[in-house]
Amino acid sequence: MEVFFQTLVGGLGFGAVYALVAMGFSLVYRTMGLVNFAHGQVVMIGAYAASTFYMSAHVPFFVSIPVAMLVTGLIGLVIERVLRPLENKDFDLMLIGTIGFGMVLESLATITWGATGHAVPSPVDTAPLDLFGIRLRTYSLVVLGIAALATVALVLFLQRTKRGAAMQAVAMDHEAATAVGIHVGRSNAIAFAIGAGLAALAGALVAPMLYVNPTLGGSLGIKGFAAAILGGFGNIPGAIVGGIAIGLLDSYAAGRFQAYSELVVFLVFTVIIMIRPTGLFGERTVNRA
Amino acid sequence: MSTQRTKQLVLSAAALMLAASTACSAPGSTSEDQQDAGGPFKIAVVNAQSGQLSSLGQWEWKGAKLAADQWNAKGGINGRKIELELFDDQGDPTVGTNVARKIASEGFVAMIGTAESAVTVAMIPILQQSKIPNITSGQSPAIAATKSPFAFYNGPTSNTYDETLAKYLVDDKGLKKIALISNNGSYGKGERDAFTKALASRGVTPVDDQVVTTDQKDFSAALTSIRQKEPDVLFVGSEEVEAGLIVKQAKELGINATIAGAAPMGTPVYLQTAGEANAEGTVVSSPYLSNDTDDASKAFAKAYQKAHGEAAELHGAKAHDGANIIFTALKNSKGATGQKLADAIRATKYAGLLGDFTFDESGVGIHATSIGVISSGKLTESAK
Amino acid sequence: MRYRIGAFAVLGIAAWFLPYGLGPYGIHVVDIAVVFALLAVGLGLAMGVGGQINLAQVAFFGVSSYAVAILTTRAGFGFWTSAVLALVAAALVGVFVGIPALRMQSHYLGIVTLGLALAFTNWVTNSTITGGADGISGIPIPPLFGIDLSSEYLYYYVELIVFGLALGFAGFVAHTGLGRRMRAMRDDSLAAGAVGAPVPVLRMTAFVLASLYGGVAGVLYAGLVRYVAPETFSIANMFLLLAMVIIGGRQSILGCVVGAVALSLLREVLIDFSVYAQLGFGVVVVLMVVLAPTGLAGIPARITRVVRRRRTAEHHATLRPFAPASAPTDGGTGAGLAISGISKQFRGLKALQDVSMSVAPGEIRGVVGPNGSGKTTLFNIVSGIYTVSAGSASVDGTVVTGRRPHQLSRLGLARTFQNLRLFGQMTVLDNVLVALDRSSMWAAWRYPLWPFGILRAERDLRVRAGRLLDQFGLTDFADAAPKSLPYGIQRRLEIARAMATGPRLLLLDEPAAGLNGEEVGQLSEIVRSIRDSGVTVVLIEHNMGLVMSLCDRVTVLASGGVIADGTPAEVAVLPKVIEAYLGDSMNTNDIAAEVSP
Repeated sequence: MEVFFQTLVGGLGFGAVYALVAMGFSLVYRTMGLVNFAHGQVVMIGAYAASTFYMSAHVPFFVSIPVAMLVTGLIGLVIERVLRPLENKDFDLMLIGTIGFGMVLESLATITWGATGHAVPSPVDTAPLDLFGIRLRTYSLVVLGIAALATVALVLFLQRTKRGAAMQAVAMDHEAATAVGIHVGRSNAIAFAIGAGLAALAGALVAPMLYVNPTLGGSLGIKGFAAAILGGFGNIPGAIVGGIAIGLLDSYAAGRFQAYSELVVFLVFTVIIMIRPTGLFGERTVNRA
Repeated sequence: MSTQRTKQLVLSAAALMLAASTACSAPGSTSEDQQDAGGPFKIAVVNAQSGQLSSLGQWEWKGAKLAADQWNAKGGINGRKIELELFDDQGDPTVGTNVARKIASEGFVAMIGTAESAVTVAMIPILQQSKIPNITSGQSPAIAATKSPFAFYNGPTSNTYDETLAKYLVDDKGLKKIALISNNGSYGKGERDAFTKALASRGVTPVDDQVVTTDQKDFSAALTSIRQKEPDVLFVGSEEVEAGLIVKQAKELGINATIAGAAPMGTPVYLQTAGEANAEGTVVSSPYLSNDTDDASKAFAKAYQKAHGEAAELHGAKAHDGANIIFTALKNSKGATGQKLADAIRATKYAGLLGDFTFDESGVGIHATSIGVISSGKLTESAK
Repeated sequence: MRYRIGAFAVLGIAAWFLPYGLGPYGIHVVDIAVVFALLAVGLGLAMGVGGQINLAQVAFFGVSSYAVAILTTRAGFGFWTSAVLALVAAALVGVFVGIPALRMQSHYLGIVTLGLALAFTNWVTNSTITGGADGISGIPIPPLFGIDLSSEYLYYYVELIVFGLALGFAGFVAHTGLGRRMRAMRDDSLAAGAVGAPVPVLRMTAFVLASLYGGVAGVLYAGLVRYVAPETFSIANMFLLLAMVIIGGRQSILGCVVGAVALSLLREVLIDFSVYAQLGFGVVVVLMVVLAPTGLAGIPARITRVVRRRRTAEHHATLRPFAPASAPTDGGTGAGLAISGISKQFRGLKALQDVSMSVAPGEIRGVVGPNGSGKTTLFNIVSGIYTVSAGSASVDGTVVTGRRPHQLSRLGLARTFQNLRLFGQMTVLDNVLVALDRSSMWAAWRYPLWPFGILRAERDLRVRAGRLLDQFGLTDFADAAPKSLPYGIQRRLEIARAMATGPRLLLLDEPAAGLNGEEVGQLSEIVRSIRDSGVTVVLIEHNMGLVMSLCDRVTVLASGGVIADGTPAEVAVLPKVIEAYLGDSMNTNDIAAEVSP
């Protein structure tokens, strides 16, 4: 029983990170019709930025996160400009184009920070909490808390603010949005910047849990993408559920199947998607002949 | 000319040429021992320059380069300069085989590397076929198991490391509740097998034996299981970075066992990754504990610091020794290559930073390690 | 064609003599490049020709290589026996990976295939039978009549012959019926189904082809390197393969080969500068995708287009008049359509409510109604695109509701679409050829076993296509891309394509939309001629003049239900029709005048 709960806690921690990554994917897809495979590498840049600020400039960790998000947000604006011609193209072109961009980011990171990477000490130095024999790493709770806050902030932004509503409008019909005076290009750029900011947050939070190196983005990106699809691509609440689901699945698979956890995770994922091809919350698209 | 006749002409011309070509000998140079007729000695240094294990590759290159520069400053080998060239195997055994073919076709007389046992094992058949001697820093017994007369170790094998470690932990310290965590790569597997064997010979069965993958980053599942068994010692059989992560997460989960391991635990990368506080008290089995062991190592460390601006460590020292052995063998054999060079290496007796090298049939040169304990960020020899 | 053969001959001869100029490492690089070229061709067949996202290609490669390795080193089979078994294994895995393609496409299929590839890598890295991270070494040298294939030079010739055959077969598939159907499916799977291409089978075929090519590549690789390890089959190599195919031009088989060879060589050249190479590579990929989406293979076409635009002035192709066909061959009068009690509900929206109507054989029936009344929904149900919530439809007594579009095409049903669904990346001729090809997928056995049958069928189809295009006046446009044609010509092409399937019942969805007066007249003539040749026609239209003059009977739909059914004259003056369709403030005298002369 103890192992069950321990695994649950571990899974939730990673699940929160995957959820943040998935939200970034879905947001960008929903507003711009772009499946951005460079998203994982943006997470990596965010992790590097935050950890570098934290470790060399001795900025407190929770200050370095917003700084990193700002930096990645700016990078996000640049990326959006560069990737704009790929929007609404067919999937393979988008895929390989954004992967190419991801390669550029990865090599730039290697050139800047070296190939080996570095470990990030946990910013929360207290001893783990002991709850009925389950060790809760305090940091995991912090991650969950911050991720939850970010999610609430995003949802409020999209539903309550004018900019957020504008973004939703663009997602539904960008021609109609232009017709009512929404600057689609600017809206897209902001959406992308928010997506990049979410990526940075995910990266910064995950850095002390894992190990920051240029290949960090690869696995996180793929699992985050799977999470976004699992929840229904473009669907923000779906991304959260998908992220948590993948995190838990990953954790339990690692516990039961050890080294074969990835095999199990992706087989289960395939089965779920086969049953519900548009994801758990996704909308079925109607074929308009 | 009509299309029909053009077609016929082209086809018959093609047929003639094909017939002619089959009459000629097959393409490709016949393999003969290339006698290098003077000029610099070309020696390849092969290691991972990218990816998680790239720090090892960097250290090895620096150690070997230092040795080469030192020899060249004294006039080289019998008046001929030494030319080192670095190749990146990307930590990928198949890329390694590619590099091996490249080395074989470009006239290199010997190879230093790699630090990854899996890559080395993959390269050995090709190097054996091309008769290129290789001194590797890998320590997996799998290398010796290939029985290639061209493969040499510049350090002890996992068996030695772990036998010494087991002796210290079980015989000297009386610690019997031992848990293992290792990765399923070539090195990790070698470590696990060697340590389990060393324990078994003392009648000790591990209380837990967890296996993780080489690119795993989160070890909660394995560590939770270990924690439940409440071991006295946690043996870690992984490379530097992964070992550091395992120890860091183990401490975060509240595992208070003594950490023990072999060469990777003696590196600065392990220290940084685990965090100084977490690495405190780690027991390390290594033939090169620190740069202050004796005059030779102090001199080496000083020269290394001067040349490369950073502190020397085990892998640099290993590569330095390995390079020196090759140069010595080249000198003694008067610039021989192929089988003769391999024989010369085997016959070389060299007093190196890791100890006194005497090579045996299996290519192992060093047969003992020491035990050190990390305290306050430094690896110091343990009081016996 | 002569130039092509000549070019191939020269390339072939150059390829034959290539090894004489290369050192031992050079020939190794070339050998690996050929393996990747095979993988790229397989990927191109699935993605470029079939439109199926296949990110598991590297897993097919791995399954085959590992199968050879395990069977030779662990189970003691001979190399060639293992090779055959490995191909079978790869094909089975191809079928397995193809199953998700039956349920989803695009990015969903992408992540599923990617996930399966990762699952494979994970298994291979950790399982003992595959040797784990160390892989399997010591694969025996393939025996071949005493030739020593450990020499990479001689191995090159084996590879060259295999590659030549494989490339030839791929080109053969891509340019004949099977490839055409796959391309139609890629361009518009809905329309492809409507002209009789069985989309699910074709999707599976795409994956099986890709896996077979991956399998052959795997066998050659195992025999060449004689060592398999997990890293070779990693996602990084999958993305490299993808880049090869996209940069080379995924829709062209030769493009894939060029991309594979170019990138393999480039990777070798840059091997010592890996980080900067990766940077440059990424930049090149992004630029290629943005600036040249058709890849290197598309560049010659783009150049000729620019050159031609500068040279020639006007396009002199003209639309010829429609030539009515002779009397029906079987003397039939078309099929009858009976719709009874059809209801269709979309999650809260009742699109159709208990709709019943029956169309007599040989009739021209109009279906009219305001926008949103459910007309196209009704068509979609009859043509198999939607399922019914209640009720059924039957053609000549055979129930059609619940069947797939391609099955209905075989029963003699054809249709056009409201928003024009032509196969955009195929020529006008190809659009028609796909529809004319009525062969069942079982006939695909001729591909590997009796290619001459395929060639003969091709010749046949082309003759018939020429005749059809002639009949519809489209001969001048045979090689044009549909999207470049004027709207009216595209509409005519869609009808021609529908007629190519030899239907007995034709559904036309707003065929006059966007046509000018003259074109509408031509359309009327065409529809009458079609009916006279033995086809029942049902058309949805908003152009009341056309409906009234052309149709024998008219059914009026409003808000999902039938509100009138009768001759045009009867229906036009009904108050509820006028109210629903025209609004009660409209002056109906014109309509009444038009209808009753």
